[in-house]
Amino acid sequence: MKKVLALLLALTLVFSLAACAPKPAAPAAGEQAAPAAETPKIGVTIYKFDDNFMSFVRRAIEKSAEGKAELILNDSQNNQATQNEQVDMMISKGVKSLAINLVDPQAAPAIITKAKAANLPVVFFNKEPNADVLKSYDKCWYVGTASAEAGVIQGKMIADAWKANAKWDKNGDGKMQYVLLKGEPGHPDAEARTKYAVEEVKNAGITVEELELQTGMWDSVKGKELVDAWLAKHGDKIEFVICNNDAMALGAVSSLKGNGYFTGDKFMPVVGVDAIPDALEQVKSGLMVGTVLNDAKNQGGATSDLAINVANGKDPLDGTQWKFDNNKAVRVPYVAVTKDNIAFAEEAYK
Amino acid sequence: MLSKVSNRLKSLTGKDAAAWAMNNAIFLVLLVLLLVIIAISPDFVSINNFRNILTQASTRIIIALGIGGLIITQGTDLSAGRMVGLAAVISASLLQAAEYPYRMYPDLPMLPIFVPILLVAAITGFFGLINGFIISKLKVTPFIATLGTMIIIYGVNSIYFDRPPYGAQPIGGLSQSYMDIAQGSINLGGFMIPFLVIYAALVTLFIWVLWNKTRFGKNIYAVGGNPEAAVVSGVNLVRTILTVYVIAGVLYGFAGALEAARVGSATNNTGNMYELDAIAACVVGGVSFSGGIGTVSGVVTGVLIFQVINYGLAFIGVNPYLQYIIKGLIIITAVAIDTRKYIKKK
Repeated sequence: MKKVLALLLALTLVFSLAACAPKPAAPAAGEQAAPAAETPKIGVTIYKFDDNFMSFVRRAIEKSAEGKAELILNDSQNNQATQNEQVDMMISKGVKSLAINLVDPQAAPAIITKAKAANLPVVFFNKEPNADVLKSYDKCWYVGTASAEAGVIQGKMIADAWKANAKWDKNGDGKMQYVLLKGEPGHPDAEARTKYAVEEVKNAGITVEELELQTGMWDSVKGKELVDAWLAKHGDKIEFVICNNDAMALGAVSSLKGNGYFTGDKFMPVVGVDAIPDALEQVKSGLMVGTVLNDAKNQGGATSDLAINVANGKDPLDGTQWKFDNNKAVRVPYVAVTKDNIAFAEEAYK
Repeated sequence: MLSKVSNRLKSLTGKDAAAWAMNNAIFLVLLVLLLVIIAISPDFVSINNFRNILTQASTRIIIALGIGGLIITQGTDLSAGRMVGLAAVISASLLQAAEYPYRMYPDLPMLPIFVPILLVAAITGFFGLINGFIISKLKVTPFIATLGTMIIIYGVNSIYFDRPPYGAQPIGGLSQSYMDIAQGSINLGGFMIPFLVIYAALVTLFIWVLWNKTRFGKNIYAVGGNPEAAVVSGVNLVRTILTVYVIAGVLYGFAGALEAARVGSATNNTGNMYELDAIAACVVGGVSFSGGIGTVSGVVTGVLIFQVINYGLAFIGVNPYLQYIIKGLIIITAVAIDTRKYIKKK
């Protein structure tokens, strides 16, 4: 009986491997049969597969590379050591180029050393290595965004909406009393968004007064709890809720709802960043003024375009709409999303 | 391994062969897994892959040998990964290149590499001593004791890590000579042998001598097999447990210093959950949680087995989420079989 049990366990193991293996094996076999249609192998690492935003970027990469390259996708499990090992493995597997979403932006030199030794081109994406590191190897580039831009765009959106809605100045003092939910302190995106969003509002000639600014750690629950407390403290004195990301904005909206907002005349403008699907729904139904789209589709598309080009020995920008800035980086623009252009944002998730 | 299998099979009758196969089922399963991997992707068989697997296993072997020793004494250590992280962060912060603009200590002169490494080994050795003290003197079960120190060490590391002038930034820009000790290799008769593999081999040799050729080694098996009997026959229980945890701590520190150099940077999250990998490797390699049972070769084999699976599954492109399921099944299978052997002996 025990023997049977152990044997069964052993068989389960073998079977589970065999069951999942055929999928990747099939294209490999096909490739050998028809070498004429051979596409280059490209090694891709994602810093963490279950990251919400990166899963959209991953899907965009897969879609855009379809039929043009054979992708080897790796989940780096939020561990830079794992990622380095995956790069070794992919090099040994004979990929023609690497597309690397670093776990830790400081670790780029180690990846570049490996790529250099194998004379492989590298496209980093979404997590930006230092500019001088990018310069240290002629065959590496970056695809991402300019982190200040999300804040600038959010600020413009706030200013435009504020100017268009005179009655949002509830106490009529001509100043915008705002509260701000900040992301993780020290996180470059949180710092940049906080700084540039408010600066941009001021640049538009609006006088502002900061009632509260605290970190909600990117988190919905923390965002809701903070706004609960602020509403208890300031009540209707708050005229605008600015959030570094959509998760916190959703928390703010749910707190506002609980405090009787969005019924009848009671309204509070809330803005976020990320344009996650949940937030788009809120924008559609008017509970959020707007959000800023971090364009997963184009980030993935550009990454895949560059990686395929360099894998085929072409110029990285060959046949694409993209341009490099001074640091060999393609900057995919952020897009302001309001009720007017919501369809565009929804398209990004298809 | 193949020749070993066939030799053994020849010398056994049919019934014995079946029993032998059961006792070594995990190796047979792995053999089959390897064959499946090779069947799917024949280019898996290459010196380069072999070297990658060995190199990647190196720091894990050092950690697992630390944990293996204390599992033999019926212990466990959840704080291992966080100690690796603490060591990685401290040694990285002390070995940043002089010309790197964001140094944690802008005015620190270049230290000889062995100084920070010895320092972090001493620090983690000290935390090991605390673990051992809580377990042997305060009689807190190892799981709870090290759960506590795991959290404490993470806190200590985060405080050290998240400081001015640059705050919670990954510590990069390590000096080239430091990275070379982990990323470099030596040319031995045409073969490039990575330094990491050499360190792992030396640590393995050291631990083998310690476990098999010294009084201390006999004591840890005695303490693990039957603590009361060990005390009666004159083994100093407290000192044995303290020593085994200190040695483990020193090994984590060494592994952490190597890990930072291998990766090229460190954060307070470096090493997170490494203890679970190490414990799993020990268990798959036949170290028993009931204590008193375990060998150096078993631990090393366990780590290598996991590395082959990790690397092999990624190499043939198995869905990353499925890889988790397969690894989990392997751990359960190994322990199920191991337990069965153990019950039989009793």
